[in-house]
Amino acid sequence: MAAKPRRALFVFLLVLPLLVFVASLYVGTSSISPAVLAKTLLSPFVPSWKAEIPQAIFDIVFAIRLPRLLLALAVGAALAVSGASLQSLFKNPLVNEYILGISSGAAFGASLSFVVFGSRIPPQILAFAFAVLAVVLVLLISRRSDSPVVSVLLTGVIVSAFFSALLSLVEYFASPYSLQALFFWLMGNLWKAGWADLAVSLPVIGAGLAVLLLMRWRFNVLSLSDEEARSLGVRLRREKFIVLATATLITAAATSVAGIIGWIGLIVPHLVRMIGGVDNRRVLPLSAALGATVLLIADDIARSLAAFEVPVGIFTSLIGIPLFIILLRRAGKVWR
Amino acid sequence: MVHRPMRRAFLLLVAALLVPSFSAFAQTPTTLTDTLGRNIAIPAKVERVLSLQPEITRLVVALGAADRLVGIDFFLRNHDDLFKVVFPGQAKLPLVSMANYNVNLEVLAGLAPDVIFGAPEDRNVIEAIETKTRIPVVALSSMGRFARLLEELRLVGRILGREERARELASGFEARLSGIRSRLEGLPHSSRPKVFLSFWNVLTNTPVFYEPVNAAGGANAAEGLLSSYAGTLNAVVPLEKVLVWAPDIILLHGNYPPPRRELTVASVLADRRIASLEAVRRRRVYYTFGFWNWWDFAEVQVETAYLAKIFHPDRFADLDLTALGNSVFREVYGIENGYSTLCRILRCEEWVHGR
Amino acid sequence: MSLRVRDLVFRYRAFELRVARLAFEKARLSAIVGPNGAGKTTLLKCLAGLLPVLSGTIDLDGRDMASLTEPERARRLAFVPQEHGASFNYSVLDFVLMGRTARLPLFAVPSAEDVRVAEEALAFVGFAAFASRPHFELSSGERRMVLIARALAQQTDLLVLDEPTTFLDPKHEAEVMDLARKLAAERQKTVLMTLHNLDMAVRYADVLVFMKNGGVVAQGRPGEILTEELLTGVYDLPMKLLRLEGRTFVLK
Repeated sequence: MAAKPRRALFVFLLVLPLLVFVASLYVGTSSISPAVLAKTLLSPFVPSWKAEIPQAIFDIVFAIRLPRLLLALAVGAALAVSGASLQSLFKNPLVNEYILGISSGAAFGASLSFVVFGSRIPPQILAFAFAVLAVVLVLLISRRSDSPVVSVLLTGVIVSAFFSALLSLVEYFASPYSLQALFFWLMGNLWKAGWADLAVSLPVIGAGLAVLLLMRWRFNVLSLSDEEARSLGVRLRREKFIVLATATLITAAATSVAGIIGWIGLIVPHLVRMIGGVDNRRVLPLSAALGATVLLIADDIARSLAAFEVPVGIFTSLIGIPLFIILLRRAGKVWR
Repeated sequence: MVHRPMRRAFLLLVAALLVPSFSAFAQTPTTLTDTLGRNIAIPAKVERVLSLQPEITRLVVALGAADRLVGIDFFLRNHDDLFKVVFPGQAKLPLVSMANYNVNLEVLAGLAPDVIFGAPEDRNVIEAIETKTRIPVVALSSMGRFARLLEELRLVGRILGREERARELASGFEARLSGIRSRLEGLPHSSRPKVFLSFWNVLTNTPVFYEPVNAAGGANAAEGLLSSYAGTLNAVVPLEKVLVWAPDIILLHGNYPPPRRELTVASVLADRRIASLEAVRRRRVYYTFGFWNWWDFAEVQVETAYLAKIFHPDRFADLDLTALGNSVFREVYGIENGYSTLCRILRCEEWVHGR
Repeated sequence: MSLRVRDLVFRYRAFELRVARLAFEKARLSAIVGPNGAGKTTLLKCLAGLLPVLSGTIDLDGRDMASLTEPERARRLAFVPQEHGASFNYSVLDFVLMGRTARLPLFAVPSAEDVRVAEEALAFVGFAAFASRPHFELSSGERRMVLIARALAQQTDLLVLDEPTTFLDPKHEAEVMDLARKLAAERQKTVLMTLHNLDMAVRYADVLVFMKNGGVVAQGRPGEILTEELLTGVYDLPMKLLRLEGRTFVLK
């Protein structure tokens, strides 16, 4: 196996999100030339330039595009790494980051927020709370069973279904005034979040990502059978809990602020395994990088495709589902 | 389901593009063509009426045929405080639909209406009613256009045998419009303020066509979007597009009950991202009444005058909105202080004054 | 590293395991043998700390196993299962590298030193050439050797193997047993395994432990305890011992 070219590829993939980030600053309805864009970006440090840049351009770059792109980076990385972590933990690359009920819990929390509190509180608080609650429920309920892995997944499916049913109930009785806002939230979007929202979610996501990325080698061992992992010296309950808690936190944080964006946690780690092998020392960082890149690109497409704004979740589904079908056929090479 | 407004709007405008006028073939009260282009046979005498479409329900009341209503839809029952004043009798009518636009077919059939008015966007509901109950369903909607609203009025008037009343209401409507039009005489196109409408509680959700804006001497910033894609009534635009359009005025959807408004003048003025807009800097951000895809016949006339005062204060300085509003409501619904009541519900005394 | 058992009791459903006294010493290869259902693997897993005992103590060089955390135990005792449970297609070297887990803190990545130890372990079992092969491609015999290499990478004094010769052809069987002997004799490890192949046990083991019905029937050097009565009693089958060319064979 040629090691050098491979390495170059990995380094490129790790740097790619930054490149796409910079390029994405240029994408948008208002055309801003690269020169003006560069000036604007540097203007906080160069006061003389600050005076030259029109307020509109400044706001477009710093108040509209920058937060949106940062959110795409963070959410893409969070969902991908969360998916990769859970896939190792559950020893199954067909697991995704929502499998423990996070998306249904978050959706229900958001719906409750819109219906009960309207505009008084931002939806992400309840969305986050119920996302975490869903996972806690899954863990509590599945503890009673003998077979840990299977029952957690099954319980996840059940709890998801439960919260989906609750969501339908809320939708049924909600006034049309609240439904509009809920509908937009559910579709997933990256444009609503402002700096205030990012100030809370980015650090949470950042911290969680750091924990999981530091544990990247450990995932190799965690993906063995429970008995083997324990015999190798893994403190299984503690380490599993850390992984589950962290993955849940970053997924809930990402989902609560950006809505439900599907397929990233499933497809990206799988793609990464096909490119770089199954060693989690590579899979995790590359998943973060590729997840961020994919979401950035999907968002770029979503906002430049037509005169109107297409929810980014549609693109991740449109791209993700066919890719998933293709990858499914090659799954046997990577997993048994 | 939550995608209602989008889907509904989509179907609506596709239909609108296909069938520009729905009364073209309607000569006798017994057959007509509705918004969806369907030919429907109506009995000559219509005594029992059910409307699932609030705009039509309000027209039925305006036409003086409220006593023929046999049921009421969820929106007018639960979410329209004005209608409770316009037609208090609605509280006694059986409820026939739920928040997700589902109808109770059994209740419906049991009420045995002679005709049902439906919303074109709820096509599957219409088909379910027709196949299961065989009651004729007429799908009508004005889609933000006065001409269609007036045609609707005439059609419903004809169905109910209240053509005279319909003519009365229509001429009142047209008189007011021409009154406004005459004051706008000689207005150069460049003097029309560019207006961005932010409806349905989302900053970037805008109706691509909303005639009161045009009739009041303004220009809808989003009007160009209609040709770019196969039609929705409303479009969600990227926020940057709003900046590119650089509207002079921003109008917010005021028909939301005040506690339910997520998008408020205060929140828009405080939004950092659009702080550079002329409209925001000059604080030309106002509420307007707006519609929930369905108009109130009286309200929309007042709205046009209200907007005219905002767009061209010099030409409408002497226009007494409250007097005009109350007289419209008196003429249309026969109630006193209708406009004042509406203002109280929507707290619109805060809109026009105290800026 | 010595492993001492005292008054061990383990229960699972209807099955009960009771062992009064058992000792495994350094530089010895011990084999636990007996008929199916005797409790060999159960005892082994209890000794490896993988099954919770009801009562009794297991001492590792004087330290009670129950008081050890998993990493502490894994630094003293390495367990080689019959079949591995890896779901992903790691390379052989990455797989062996997992043996370093107990010596790495939670947020650490293997160092160059760890990799060297893993490579050495792989070389010891003669599989250095397999390092970059994906382990799904290996035959069961090859996988067994890789599992042993992983256990070696743990650098423990105690090695516990569960039926290391099942599904292996005679050549590979001999290879594994030679390796085990080498580890005991040359590397001074305490090696403990369950075996169903009595001939192998008799041939290679320094100590034999005979089990039946959840209890230890006899333990000691083959030369001392191996009798036809014992064998017939344990296996419920007439057995005969045959001594040929200085080696003892068991005939059924």
